Amino acid sequence: MGAVVNSRAGGAGAPPVSQTGPTLLSWVFRLGALAIIDGVAIWLLYQMFRDGIWQLGLAIGIVTVLLNLIFLREELYPLRWISPGLALLVVLVIYPVLFSIYTAFTNYGDGHLLTQPQVVRLLENRRFLAEGATLFNYTAYLSPDGAEYALYLEAPDGSEAYIARQGSLEEATPGAQPAEIDGFTPLARADILRGGHTQKLVAVTFGDEETAFQVSDRQLGKAAEYQQRYTYLADEDAMRDNQTGTLYRPVQGTFTAEDGTTLTPGYQVVVGTRNFERLLTNPAFRQPFILVFLWTVGFAVLSVLTTFTAGLLLAIAFDAPSMPLQKLLRSLLLIPYAIPAFISVPVWVGLMNPEFGVVTEFLEGVLGVSIPWFGHPTWAKAGIVLVNLWLGFPYMFLICTGALQALPTDIYEAADIDGASPVQKFWNITLPLLLITVGPLLVASFAFNFNNFVIIDLYNGGAPPMSGTPSPVGHTDILVSYTFRVAFSSGRGADLGYAAAITVAIFLILIVITWFQFRFTNMLEERSENV
Amino acid sequence: MKNRALILISVLMVLSLVLAACPAPAQPAPEAAAPAAEAAPTEAPAVEADPEPTEAPAAEPTAVPTEEPMAESECAADAPSLTIWADETRSPVLRSVGDAFTAEFGVCVSVAEKGFGDIRDDFKVAGPTGEGPDIIIGAHDWLGELVSNGLLAEMDLGDRDAEFLDAAKQGFFYDGALYGMPYATENVALIYNPEIVTEVPTTWTGVTELAAQLEADGVVEQGYILQQGDPYHFFPIQTAFGGYVFGVNDSGYNAEDVGIDSEGSIAAATWLDEMVKAGHLKSDIDWGTMHAQFQNGDAAMLITGPWALPQLRESGIPFAVAKLPGEMQDAQPFLGVQGFMVSAFSDDPLLAQTFLLDFVATEETMQAIFDADPRPSAYIAVREKIDDADLLGFADAGANGLPMPAIPAMSAVWSAWGDAVTLIFQQTEAPDAAFTQAAEQIRTAIADQ
Repeated sequence: MGAVVNSRAGGAGAPPVSQTGPTLLSWVFRLGALAIIDGVAIWLLYQMFRDGIWQLGLAIGIVTVLLNLIFLREELYPLRWISPGLALLVVLVIYPVLFSIYTAFTNYGDGHLLTQPQVVRLLENRRFLAEGATLFNYTAYLSPDGAEYALYLEAPDGSEAYIARQGSLEEATPGAQPAEIDGFTPLARADILRGGHTQKLVAVTFGDEETAFQVSDRQLGKAAEYQQRYTYLADEDAMRDNQTGTLYRPVQGTFTAEDGTTLTPGYQVVVGTRNFERLLTNPAFRQPFILVFLWTVGFAVLSVLTTFTAGLLLAIAFDAPSMPLQKLLRSLLLIPYAIPAFISVPVWVGLMNPEFGVVTEFLEGVLGVSIPWFGHPTWAKAGIVLVNLWLGFPYMFLICTGALQALPTDIYEAADIDGASPVQKFWNITLPLLLITVGPLLVASFAFNFNNFVIIDLYNGGAPPMSGTPSPVGHTDILVSYTFRVAFSSGRGADLGYAAAITVAIFLILIVITWFQFRFTNMLEERSENV
Repeated sequence: MKNRALILISVLMVLSLVLAACPAPAQPAPEAAAPAAEAAPTEAPAVEADPEPTEAPAAEPTAVPTEEPMAESECAADAPSLTIWADETRSPVLRSVGDAFTAEFGVCVSVAEKGFGDIRDDFKVAGPTGEGPDIIIGAHDWLGELVSNGLLAEMDLGDRDAEFLDAAKQGFFYDGALYGMPYATENVALIYNPEIVTEVPTTWTGVTELAAQLEADGVVEQGYILQQGDPYHFFPIQTAFGGYVFGVNDSGYNAEDVGIDSEGSIAAATWLDEMVKAGHLKSDIDWGTMHAQFQNGDAAMLITGPWALPQLRESGIPFAVAKLPGEMQDAQPFLGVQGFMVSAFSDDPLLAQTFLLDFVATEETMQAIFDADPRPSAYIAVREKIDDADLLGFADAGANGLPMPAIPAMSAVWSAWGDAVTLIFQQTEAPDAAFTQAAEQIRTAIADQ
C-alpha cells in the first residue's frame, strides 16, 4: 500500500482515503480515462444516430455503459484487465455477427438502400408536367426586403405572359417585361447564382391555387405548372400517383401497384425468412452445391494436411541441434508467412502463367509436360493447394517448433532403452503428443481455409467454369466464393440481405463441422492420458 | 467517500460532455454567426442603389481568416456551396473551374479527390445522409445501381443538348430520363501491327484467314489474340455476327429479352470455337499476357481500348488503330461513357446543374478535361478537334457503339457470359450449348429476385 502512504504524504488537501479503497491518484487516473472514453463514445454516438446507423450506435452505447460500470464498481475489479479486449470483441466480432444475422432477415441491398421516410420524401419531391403544358422562360424579381419573389413568365413562342407572385397571378403583355413589379427588382442570371437564390426559388410556389407555377430545378430560367407526382397517404400507408391516380402499396419494401408495376427506389424493410426460403428453393443451390461443398471440405482438409506435414517435417529437421545455421534458416522459413497473400498469390499466378511463367517453362523444358494450372479442373485445384501450401507451412512450422521443444525428454530416453527406431518414436510418441497441443490449432486452420476467399479469388476467381449448371459456378469455387458470385450476380445488383442469409447458412455448417473436430481433438487428449 | 466519488463522477461526466461537445463548435459557431451574416444579404437589396453589393461578402472573410488557404477565402461562410467528388485526373481541372465560379458568383466550390471506383461506393454511403457531394464524376454503367437506389437527380441539358455526342447522351438515359452530362467516351478498337498486317481484315472470316496465313508463314505465334473468358472484348465479335446481350425497347435495354443465345451470338461463338479448334486462339490467356504477346511482336492483332495506349506507346512496338471487323453487319463495341451526375440529396440541384452547364460544358473546360486524360470527348466541339491518329481511330471505331447496359440485370450477365466464352476456349462445351446454357443461367438469375 505504498501508494496510499504517498498520497497521504503528498497532499495536505488530499481527501482521507480508506485503507481498502482506491487511492486518489488511481481515482483521478481512472476517471480521467473514463472521461476520455465517454467523450469519444458520446461523439461517436452523436454521429451514428445522426447518420441513422442506430444499430452500431446502440452497440457502442452498451459497451460504453459496461466499461463505466466495470471501472466504477469495485466488485467488478477482475474484469478491468480484460475489458479492453471484451469491448473490442463486442464491437468488432459480436456486433458484426449479429448485424449479419439481422441483415439476413431484411431486403437490404441495391434497390433497397434507403429508409422508408427517405424514399417517401424523394418520391414526393418528384414533379411532372401535364401533357401539352408550356415551359415558360422567366425573370425573377426580388422584394426590397429580400424575403419574397415574383416571376415574369413568358412562353417561348411569345403567345402568353404572366406576372406570378407568391399567391397571385395576373396576365401580362408578352414581350413587355416590366422594369419592376410593385417595387420588386429584377434579378439578373448572375444575381440569382450570386445570392444563393437558386435554392429558395425552387422551394417557392408562384401564382394562385388554380394556376401554380414553379421554377425548374434543372434549368435556370425555366418555369412551368409543375405538379407533385406522388403523394404519400399516411393513413393508408400508400403512395398515390397524381398523374394517373394509381395507388401503390408497400410490398416487401417496394411501392407496388395492383398490376405489379413498382416505384423505384424501394426501401429497407424486414422481410422475415424470405431470403432463407429463396436460398432453399434456388436451383443454384441444389445441383452444384454438393460439388462445391465437397471441394470446400477437400480444399480445407488438404490445406491443413499439406501445410501441417511440411511444417512438421521442417520443424523436426530444424530441431536437430546438429543443423547448421539453425536460427538463421528458421527465421528465413517464416518469410512466406510475413508476406501478405495479396502479394504472394499474384506472384505465384505469374510464375505459373501458361505463356511466360517460370514454373511452366521449367516443366516444359525439363520434363516436357505442359500443365494447365488454371484451365483444367484438377490441375487448377492442385495449383491452389500448392500455393496455399507455400502460404501456410510457416505457421505450422512455427507452432510445431514450439510444441516439439516442450515435449518431455524422459519418454524418448525410455524409448531409446526399449530400442525403438526413430520412425517408431515419431509415430508413437512425437505425433500423438504433438497433436494434443496443436490439435485445436489444426481445427482453427481448417475453419480458416474453409472460408479462405482470398486465395480462391486471387488465384483464378473460381475458374474453370463448370458446364451445365443452373447458375455460374467454377470448379475451384469454395462455398464463400460461390456465395459471393450468387449474391453479387443476381439480377438486381448487390443483394446484401441474400448474401447475409447465405453467410449465416455457411456459419451454421462451419459450427457443426468445428464441433465434430473438437470432439475429435478431445478424443486425442483422452487417449493420450492413457498413454 | 462514496459521496465524494459520486460528485467527482458527476463532475467528470459533465466535463466529458463538454469535451464531447468540443469537436462540434464548427456547427454551433456558424449558427451563432448566422444572424449577423444573414443580415448582410437581406440588407443588401434595400440599398440596391449601391452598385456593388457583391463585394461585401467577398471582402469580409478575406480579412478575418488570413491563415486559411486562398481558395476558401473567396467565399463567405453562409454563401451557397457545391461539393464535387472527382478522380485525381479530373479534379485539378474542376478545381480551377470551381475557383472561377467562386470568383464570379461567390459560390463555394470544393472538389474532393477520390479514386474513380471509390466515388460510387462512397456516394452510396454518404449520399443518403445528406453529407455527400452535390456533383459526382462517374461512368454511365453506374446508373442502374445509383438510380435504382434513388441517389441521382434527373438532369436537363435544355438547348445545350446538341453540343453533346448522341451516343454519349444515350448512355446516361435510364428509364427514359437523363441522369448525367457526359464528358468522354471510351470503347475498344482493333489494334494491329502495321509491319505484319499490311491489309486490315474487314470481316472476322478475314481475320481467321489472315491468322492462318501469318502463323503458317511463321511470322507470329498468333495472328489474332484474345483473352480467355472476357465477354467485354468478345462483344464486338458477337455484334458483328448479329448477336446482342439485351434487346431494346422504348425505355432502353429490356431485361426480359436476353440475346446471349440469339442466332447471331451463337454464330459468333461458333467462329470462336473454330478459331480455338484450328489453334489460332490459345486458352488461358489473360489481359496482361494478351498485351505482352502483342508488344513482343508474337501476336499481330488484338482488341483493346484507349487505356492501353500508354503501354503500347512505351513498348515501342509499331501499332495502328482500326475499325473493328464486321461480318454479317458492322461490329458495335460497348461504349463506356463518363460524365457528371447530380445527387438527389443535393440541397441546391439547380445551382449544381447551372454550374455544370455554364462552367463545365464549355469548350475550354471540356478541352482541359480532354488534355488531362486523352479519351475521345463527348463534347462535339472538342471531339472534332482531336488530331491524335490513335484516338481518332478509337473514336471512329466507337462511332456506332452501344452504351454498355446499365440496368441492374446486367450484373447477372457478366459471370455467366464470361464462363460461356471460357468453356469454348477450354473446349469443354460446344459453342451453342455454352451460350444457350449461359442465357438460361442469366434468365434464372433475373427471374429469381
